[in-house]
Amino acid sequence: MSKLPPAHDPPAGADGNSPARDDTQQKLHQLLAGLWEQSRNTVAAHVETLQQARTLAENGQLDNAGLARAIDSAHKLAGVLGTFGLPRGTELARVAEEAFREPGGPSPQKAAGLRSALEELHNLVQAAVTYQGS
Amino acid sequence: MKADGEYLVTHRILIIDDEDDIRQVAALSLETVAGWDVVLANSGKQGIERASVEQPDAILLDVMMPEMDGPTTFLKLKANQKTSHIPVLLLTAKVQGPDQRRFADLGVAAILFKPFDPLTLAGQISSVLGWKDSA
Repeated sequence: MSKLPPAHDPPAGADGNSPARDDTQQKLHQLLAGLWEQSRNTVAAHVETLQQARTLAENGQLDNAGLARAIDSAHKLAGVLGTFGLPRGTELARVAEEAFREPGGPSPQKAAGLRSALEELHNLVQAAVTYQGS
Repeated sequence: MKADGEYLVTHRILIIDDEDDIRQVAALSLETVAGWDVVLANSGKQGIERASVEQPDAILLDVMMPEMDGPTTFLKLKANQKTSHIPVLLLTAKVQGPDQRRFADLGVAAILFKPFDPLTLAGQISSVLGWKDSA
């Protein structure tokens, strides 16, 4: 197995909190806020895909195409929400991804158990009208 | 160069990811924080073409992509004389141990995880590649 070097935090000024760093952080925050505004509808659509798939799975009606879409949406949400300052969203999306990746998709009982997690995810995204990063 | 005093050398980074959001966040991050040039590709196939032409200093490669996934793209990059020398960092949302070991066995320079912190991404890349261009 390859030995991978550890990841570290980026270098900072001598005090770790230089004015240049603050300016950069502020600029990046503004840019990410604009990007979140553009991306929010797409993110919300992925959450809706998950909720629809969950309902179908609970009723034993989720087909392979729907299952593949759900896995894709959950994976994308898990990767992106934390980057936009929503780490809880990443946690919830991972729970959903794990469930949808079960062979054959989630059982009706498992799907029923996902309801509250996906409702929380939905509410979290709806509440994040503005960028939530620091 | 857009650097704000912390990064003194401009690197060129190729980001290969099928997700628009991730490509854009990573690009904003590397351009704004480090002042690096960023080249984008939305698929493995496009990434291989861009890598050959643009000759980036490093490649940030998503694992899960349709048609050609990250590991397959990586192997094709390493098999191509024009791109075999370019260090590749895998970017993945997969957190399971077996996946990580499989990716590491490929011989990638590093594995970075989604979600990433846009403020620290450039520092992580610099650190794992041993780039000494930051103050």
